[in-house]
Amino acid sequence: MLLRVILRYRRAVILSIALLVSFLFMTLQVRQEGPLVDLVERGLVLTVTPFLKLYAAVTGTTSRLWANYVDLRRVRGENLRLQEEMAALREEVRRLAEAGLENSRLRQLLDLPAGREFDLVAAQVIAKDTTNWFKTIMINKGSEAGVQRSLPVIATEGLVGRVVEVMPWTAKVQLLTDPVSSVGALLQEQRGTGLVTGDLGQTATVKYLPLMAEVRVGDVVLTSGMGGVFPKGILIGTVTATHRKSGALFQEAAIQPSVDFGRLEEVLVITRERGAGSPGAPGAPRGGDR
Amino acid sequence: MTRFLLGLLLVTLLQTTLAHRLGVAGIRPDLYLLFLFFLSFRASPEVATAMGFLLGLYQDAFSGAPFGLHAFALSAGGFALSLVAEGVDASRVFPRLVLLAGSGLAVGSLTHLLLHFFRLGPPVGALLTVVLPTALYTALLGAAILGARQLKARLEVRL
Repeated sequence: MLLRVILRYRRAVILSIALLVSFLFMTLQVRQEGPLVDLVERGLVLTVTPFLKLYAAVTGTTSRLWANYVDLRRVRGENLRLQEEMAALREEVRRLAEAGLENSRLRQLLDLPAGREFDLVAAQVIAKDTTNWFKTIMINKGSEAGVQRSLPVIATEGLVGRVVEVMPWTAKVQLLTDPVSSVGALLQEQRGTGLVTGDLGQTATVKYLPLMAEVRVGDVVLTSGMGGVFPKGILIGTVTATHRKSGALFQEAAIQPSVDFGRLEEVLVITRERGAGSPGAPGAPRGGDR
Repeated sequence: MTRFLLGLLLVTLLQTTLAHRLGVAGIRPDLYLLFLFFLSFRASPEVATAMGFLLGLYQDAFSGAPFGLHAFALSAGGFALSLVAEGVDASRVFPRLVLLAGSGLAVGSLTHLLLHFFRLGPPVGALLTVVLPTALYTALLGAAILGARQLKARLEVRL
């Protein structure tokens, strides 16, 4: 009898089940109560990851081969130029060595800690977000390589974001331009602090900047280190516009991130700041330095 | 079934690795919706619902979205598309494109609504800056595919 009813209304039954299960998944994950949801998600990711890694390897090899060929053609002219540059750099190295020695002497005098060093895990970007609503990437390193949730991720140009999901061989990184991302920020010259949040576009915004701070276009924005997720002093981007609303308690500034997320291929996960323990507490909120 | 699973794998690979290269001002076409659209003309509403559900789960697994968000939207989208497709002449391109653009708007609006429900809400303006351009871009890509198919069919007839 029941089977007959189900078969008769199978369209409605299947639609209801699909909607109900989807809604349940969403609710459990938003409440962070979903080991089952994580298991299903990991299973789905695992079925595609080998192909993504293969694609990344093939495209990486192809682009390297092409770059080698192009480089070979350029190498003769470059060689002459480099010889001249090397002479100049030798002099620069000598001068910097002197400055380094002076710096360490002064640090000892002022009792300041030495420059920071990080333990890094290099990873390759193997997938980008499938939607226009969020800004995440997937990297080819996971818990097996020491990657943990909430660890900061950087590139040679500056801050990329933070790890939000970890699987054994892959991890999902929330970019600083993601609408739900937030990073404690510091204006390099003005020393005013704020919060960098992403939006649905390609840029980001520094919110909650003090009205007193004289923010100018071109000002450099760094991580403030507040919030405990991102180490202090990592380059975030430069100010492209400022906004002061009348009656507002704070001002805002639009920034252009220093990292070109469209061309991002390799990243570095900061697993530990030497002498400072692990950056990014595993239990830190998904949004970042809120 | 095997063809669907292979298609699902291909769509996921394309969406995660190549779709961003087609991006215009950060807006990328929704290949999952496009795939579901073409499937819905061949599948019954219940099958289209199940396919939409699975496609949505994969889309969620490779995005920052809460898991289940697109599964919900594409399940409903697959069901509705398949029902409407029964009354659309599959040989005519224009009605199909209108249907594709309309489904893009409907699925995008539903996603927007769900994000608001879970307090991950993008601004209302996102309906104009994300939903509308994504739907139009996806429809344009659909038009290109349908056009190429028709051209191929005509050439085959001539030969």
